[in-house]
Amino acid sequence: MSAELDRTPRNLLLCEQSSLLDEKNRLSAQVQQLHFSYKVSVLLPECSSAPSHLDSLLSSFSSFYLIRNLPIYELLDKDFLQKAVYPGGVYGLSYRTRIDEDNCVALMPNGHLCLSLDKDSFELLGFEGKPCRFNHRSRSRFVVSIDLTDSSMAPGGRGYLRLLAGLRSRLHLHTDFLLSHHPGGRACLQPLLLRYDWSEHTPEVSRCHLTNLSCPVLQSCDPHSLLEWLGTVDADVSRENSSSSFLSSLVCPDPNTTLSSALRVSVCGLLLPPDIHRLIQELRHYLERPLLGSWVSLTVHGFVDSPVSWGDSEHGVLRGGENFYTLLMFHDHSYQLHLATGAHDTCPP
Amino acid sequence: MKPVDKKEESSYQRVVLKNASPYHYLKVHLVLENETTRLSAVELKQFIITGLKNLHGEVGAALNFDVLKYDDDTLTALLRVYSKGLVKLWSSLTLLGSYQNQACAFRVLQVSPFLLALSGNSRELQLD
Repeated sequence: MSAELDRTPRNLLLCEQSSLLDEKNRLSAQVQQLHFSYKVSVLLPECSSAPSHLDSLLSSFSSFYLIRNLPIYELLDKDFLQKAVYPGGVYGLSYRTRIDEDNCVALMPNGHLCLSLDKDSFELLGFEGKPCRFNHRSRSRFVVSIDLTDSSMAPGGRGYLRLLAGLRSRLHLHTDFLLSHHPGGRACLQPLLLRYDWSEHTPEVSRCHLTNLSCPVLQSCDPHSLLEWLGTVDADVSRENSSSSFLSSLVCPDPNTTLSSALRVSVCGLLLPPDIHRLIQELRHYLERPLLGSWVSLTVHGFVDSPVSWGDSEHGVLRGGENFYTLLMFHDHSYQLHLATGAHDTCPP
Repeated sequence: MKPVDKKEESSYQRVVLKNASPYHYLKVHLVLENETTRLSAVELKQFIITGLKNLHGEVGAALNFDVLKYDDDTLTALLRVYSKGLVKLWSSLTLLGSYQNQACAFRVLQVSPFLLALSGNSRELQLD
């Protein structure tokens, strides 16, 4: 019995070390593949206020739209397909739906529509899908993945009409929907925005200035201790404890140094990979300048309830649904990338 | 800028760590019948230890866990426990039903093997 009590669900941490100067580095591919990001947080050591161009970039993340009570069959609207889906670059995700209990929908920039449905909804829809890989034995959840750019899904085609009928007359799937488009913006989404109640949102930026921050030696720190330390910085957890304290024995990993100041900036909302890619490039330029800190860290959290995490790979919650990565970039162009996922996820790319 | 050493340039390493996380982190919220009751962090930890002792005996009471952060206004805490002790801690939190003769319950809001995940929970996104 005690052995059973010791077990916890699977979790994966993928650690990669390479250099940005290496032509074969896969960093941009890995960044582009996490389609739905919720939060980016950047830590700049030895910095009291961000340089203006970095600051303006952080405030210029693409805005996104929340459409209230959108019938999902509207995503198959001919105008919308032509303006937003076929050119690529559309990001859509159902809002306030929980993937462990509700039906969730994601529209990806490559034109794939992914529906994660409970058994009853799947049977009502009457469209080809497969059991969710994480509970395939109980067959309680199904995933329908459709390539809207495929010829069989062209408006008027057989597959198109079948899906449209399923969504419109049988399933009646409505949900609040987050939508954004890069680089087209609002113009591309107009076919939907014209007909439904929507609001525009810009990602929220918050800045926090930290002083006397104890910091481990990052190059030699083991990945889990490093992520824990970044977690304590992000969550404002005190590291000033001793091993005998009653409340907490958490301390900064040894060996460590003290940073006189640091800046933590975070951005929250539906964030698009192209914006994050621009931010990484800007941070790279920031590191090239002399007299500033010798490293920066950037953490990107994916949406917990998204039906996909990296690329088209299936994602579920089970307990945490975490899917995030942390990128540490150093002065000499080397970098460390840590990609983490929980139990209901495949191995990151 | 200094030219980068070629050897360094080509170094590439990829490691996959499976279930290697030494700790699990929990975000918990204590709901009390009398909403004006306040606990200090020390009282909260002592209360959880009592729960561990009731369910898992003296061995359970010796389980090491940390209260990383505690907000006594919202009665919300971040806990850290060795992965091996997670089930024991979680089960005793679930079964803690009364604090000083008033009904109470622990709501486990989030559990993760990564502390970072607790500060980036998309379920907290409020757009209204």
